[in-house]
Amino acid sequence: MPRSDFWSGLAVAAFGLLALLWMIPNYAGSNPFAQMPPELVPGIGAWLMVICGGIIAVKGLVQLLRERLTLVTTELSWAAIGWAAWPFVYVGVAIWFMSFIKITWFGAFLIAGMLILLGERRWYMILGCSVVPVVLLYVLSVYMMRVGVV
Amino acid sequence: MDFSAVGSAAAEALTLASFIGIGGGVLLGYVVGVIPGLSRSVAISIAIPMTFYMSPYIAISFLIGLSKGTAAGSAVSAILLNAPGEASSAATALDGYPMAKQGKPKTALQIGLIASVMGDILATIILIFVAIPFARVALMFGPYEMAAILAFALVFIAGLSGGNIFKGLAAGGLGIFLGTVGLDNQTGLPRLTFGYTELMDGMPLIAVAIGTLALSEMFVQSEKLRYERGTMSVAIKKDDSDRITWPIFRRILPTILRGTGVGTFVGALPGLGPSVGSFMSYGMAQKAAKDPQAFGKGEPKGIAAAESADNAVIPAALIPLFGLGIPGNVSAALLIGAFAIHGITVGPLLLRDNPELLYSIFAGMILASVIMLALGWFGLMFFAQITRVPPHVVIPVVIFFCLAGMMLQGYGTFGLVILMGFALLGYLMKKYDYSFVTFLVAFIITPMLELNLRQSIILSRGNWEILLGRPIAMFFIVCTVLALVTLIVRTFRTDKAAGGAPTSE
Repeated sequence: MPRSDFWSGLAVAAFGLLALLWMIPNYAGSNPFAQMPPELVPGIGAWLMVICGGIIAVKGLVQLLRERLTLVTTELSWAAIGWAAWPFVYVGVAIWFMSFIKITWFGAFLIAGMLILLGERRWYMILGCSVVPVVLLYVLSVYMMRVGVV
Repeated sequence: MDFSAVGSAAAEALTLASFIGIGGGVLLGYVVGVIPGLSRSVAISIAIPMTFYMSPYIAISFLIGLSKGTAAGSAVSAILLNAPGEASSAATALDGYPMAKQGKPKTALQIGLIASVMGDILATIILIFVAIPFARVALMFGPYEMAAILAFALVFIAGLSGGNIFKGLAAGGLGIFLGTVGLDNQTGLPRLTFGYTELMDGMPLIAVAIGTLALSEMFVQSEKLRYERGTMSVAIKKDDSDRITWPIFRRILPTILRGTGVGTFVGALPGLGPSVGSFMSYGMAQKAAKDPQAFGKGEPKGIAAAESADNAVIPAALIPLFGLGIPGNVSAALLIGAFAIHGITVGPLLLRDNPELLYSIFAGMILASVIMLALGWFGLMFFAQITRVPPHVVIPVVIFFCLAGMMLQGYGTFGLVILMGFALLGYLMKKYDYSFVTFLVAFIITPMLELNLRQSIILSRGNWEILLGRPIAMFFIVCTVLALVTLIVRTFRTDKAAGGAPTSE
């Protein structure tokens, strides 16, 4: 917990600093005549992240020092990380695919592929679970919402 | 009260379209609630795109019906599987599962259903009688009061929805920051859009909601599959003695009424949520019982206490929403988004500008409760079968609907990339215990907060002394500061107390 607190707090504070020093000055716009400048509210959000992220990181660091733990650990399970990461990669690739082909046309393969990767082997389950949602989407988009095939 | 508006609202609630819309919402909610791992907020976020073609009344009632359905449905998996569909039904499992194992699954389910429906209907009636006077008072509030109340709600939610106030505030800060993306209302200039015209209207709410709630949850669930696979549910057998009887109902009735009171109180406070309500009610029922040792071993009062409070929270959480326009939890925050999609400003203005719609929604909520009772009673065997659907089948289907929901919104690949970004953010927030509830509520209320803050600054010409003449605003500013100080002190004290014990790393 203290190690993850330290790193997550640091990440939040770093993002807050990035927002304060680069994003807000360059992209929040400004209006010298406005009684409330447009950068005020995003600035409040960024300051909250810097202060609270900093406190979380410092508390985590103090706890780490107290318990004589290192900042990084070598006890990483790559298999566990791989298992956690593959759905992101799978969906990421699907999104890339969707820039070329509509989800209705390849949705069944998207679901079936993931079902197989998650361990489903019964053909009737794979067929039913992959086709029925796509048909429902088709009915919803074409006949009920009338936005055409998505 | 405008009785002609009430009459037309009741007539609208009894139309076929209303029955289909609300019934569909309750049914979908029930199915989602029964499946462990699919929560209310996941269901609402995925269902919002489905409501685009509905009328505002049907759309909102559909979503509220769905919300109610998940609360009732989650009891089924809690009782039959010992795996609550919602965290708030964990208290139901404490007595529901032992009772089911003792050969009384149907009795346990019927107790849960009756407690759910009674808690829900009573809290809806309280909502109707409280929200309208509340909204009438709120109509007298100016921007000073609204800005102060919104700030107070945000701090309250940050402190209570997670364990650590700093993590809650950091998540709130990110929500505020991202909530300001888009065209600035005053200058009309793009703000934090980084040159992307797609962001001119702000971060797409559907992408933020589906990403942080639904898609990220599916990633969390798929990760869990490595360590745990599905469990078998308790089967319901044909047994005439396995049903709720009049003496059992009479015994649990006071517990249901107490649970409803607790749930309504907890639901009306922003940030607490149904889990707090159900466990608080369970604890109170145990304390009040003549035989507290029976709790945890299949005591009907335990199921009744947890379920009545859990379901009472749902309508009660709409009191600050309809009264002040402030979402008390994620579901209410998502409803604000759904209202906005249909061009309606929720809050006290709804009572002034569109009272027919408000009364129609109330009528729809009562109808949803009745449909919930009928569906739960007659569909018991069907819902019991759904508990057997394994999570590895649910995950790909939900991911598909998440992606399809974005495409229906019309954002294209850009929206999908934003969705993926928020899914990653939601995953990390859940993993590192940052309150995604606070993040989402902050993201949704920031435009309202900024507008009221801006009006306050313009009206006061930057003179803070004007607040001394606004006692309600001052009261909430003082409450915000006090809440902040109390929560910070509590966090430090908790950490100090835990400091002696070694951590998990």
